[in-house]
Amino acid sequence: MIAAMTPTTTKTVIQTVDLSVAYNGKLALKAVNAQFYENTVTALIGPSGCGKSTLLRALNRLNDRIPDAVTQGKVLIDGKDIYARGVNLTRLRREVGMVFQKPNPFPMSIFENVALGPRLHYGLRGRALEEIVEDALRKAALWDEVKDDLKKKSGLALSGGQQQRLCLARMLAVQPRILLMDEPCSALNPISTQEIEELIVELGKQYTVIVVTHNLQQAARISQYTGFLM
Amino acid sequence: MAVKLAHKPAEAGVDWEALVARRDALRLRKNALLTTLLVFTLLAVITYKGASTISWEFLTTPPREGMSAGGIGPMIRGSLLLMLGTFLLATPLGIFGGVCLAEYGDRSRIRRFMHASVAALAGTPPIVYGLFGLAIFVLKFQFGVSLLAGWCTLTLFSLPVIVLTTEAALKTVPEGIINGGLALGLSRWQTLWRLALPYAMPGIMTGVILSLGRAAGEAMPVLFTASIYYASTFPALSWESLRQPVANLPYYLAEGYRQPGVVPEHLIWGACLTLIVLVLLLNVGAIVIRTRARRRYL
Ligand SMILES: Nc1ncnc2c1ncn2[C@@H]1O[C@H](COP(=O)(O)OP(=O)(O)O)[C@@H](O)[C@H]1O
Ligand SMILES: [Mg+2]
Repeated sequence: MIAAMTPTTTKTVIQTVDLSVAYNGKLALKAVNAQFYENTVTALIGPSGCGKSTLLRALNRLNDRIPDAVTQGKVLIDGKDIYARGVNLTRLRREVGMVFQKPNPFPMSIFENVALGPRLHYGLRGRALEEIVEDALRKAALWDEVKDDLKKKSGLALSGGQQQRLCLARMLAVQPRILLMDEPCSALNPISTQEIEELIVELGKQYTVIVVTHNLQQAARISQYTGFLM
Repeated sequence: MAVKLAHKPAEAGVDWEALVARRDALRLRKNALLTTLLVFTLLAVITYKGASTISWEFLTTPPREGMSAGGIGPMIRGSLLLMLGTFLLATPLGIFGGVCLAEYGDRSRIRRFMHASVAALAGTPPIVYGLFGLAIFVLKFQFGVSLLAGWCTLTLFSLPVIVLTTEAALKTVPEGIINGGLALGLSRWQTLWRLALPYAMPGIMTGVILSLGRAAGEAMPVLFTASIYYASTFPALSWESLRQPVANLPYYLAEGYRQPGVVPEHLIWGACLTLIVLVLLLNVGAIVIRTRARRRYL
């Protein structure tokens, strides 16, 4: 009971140190120093093109894929620089999950969408795998809607809001600690948006969450901290 | 003339560009129609000439009386054997090649050079493959004129198209899927194997089947490497068969036609129709795979 009443800790999980990212020599992110706290939702706000997505992709090193992108500075997670030599990208991205602006379910069954990660990372099979899939789908508030044709229905056959929650479940199934969300509601209708917002608030109690949004009201509704980028 | 027209439109108040576009569209439609008509005429003539020859016996028995009577069973079996081996060899190799082209050294000059080379190979005349196969597989590797040498030659012949279609199919995989996989912590290899390849597979298989269809109909690659003309029996299949030549449909047609008076005309027409139907079946297979896959991915 006491634990439940304790206010959120302010332990820093992620700290960026003079983080800059350039595409083709053009700076998209200039010496950003930011902190993100444990079990807290931080919203990132800023005009379009100011580098919000770039910042998120710097936190799970997804920018590594873009041949023109050059990253400078440090990103410390629990004090360790993820850009240091010898960092295992798979391990990093298992810790730091991400959902994208446009829902991107894989063209396979709902079950397979969620099971792929834990199966490949943790070698889970059978009952254990089914449990982790159910757990992830429950956390993403999708279980009741899909439990009847979990293995038959394609992830692509779901509605937009359901697809985004499927992507959330897929991310949660690999047991991350940090969740990055890049305008997760921008492709959704108001009802789905509200569902995802409620989910984010819920997830913020157990995860370090960073949400990009261009909507100040939304930031106020879902986050304890807000970062402005310009 | 064209230059004059280009200067006219404003003053004349006529939309020349639209007219020219319309003319081109009409020409295109006319050409398409002509081509279709030509193909159908060809099919109609071959069906008309060959249909009466087709019978179960024709398809399953060997030639008799010094090739002047009987069926084309060994040729069909030989063609199917050549296809099967080529399929098994060329599919993994071609997909591997396509993956390498698509995945490695994006934008690099080497990659562009490789791509251009493969594209050039895809346009290389079949006879060149035949001669290459003769020099390398038949003589150098001492496979002899044999099923094995035929497989190797036809595999080389089919590879470029499979490599190019695989590369193109991998390019169609949405970025969102790749990013989704990487963000889950999948390695590049897992992303390719679990997400990109399955997504691209229908396109790849379409390429494989189309290129096999092309290989099935070509006499030139197997001319010096795998073929015999005179086949009056069904030799039992064994490991030995790998080192022995096989009769096959395209070579039977080419040679049967070249030696007039030996193989009666109706047998040639019958074999011709059989080969066309075989290739058509392969193409239909490709279409079926594509539509079913499209439905699966919704
Ligand atoms: N892959 C890329 N290649 C080159 N430039 C890019 C790339 N991605 C983003 N940029 C540029 O970087 C800047 C920041 O983009 P982004 O991070 O997507 O902004 P936001 O998410 O805040 O709208 C923009 O000017 C954009 O044009
Ligand atoms: Mg963005």
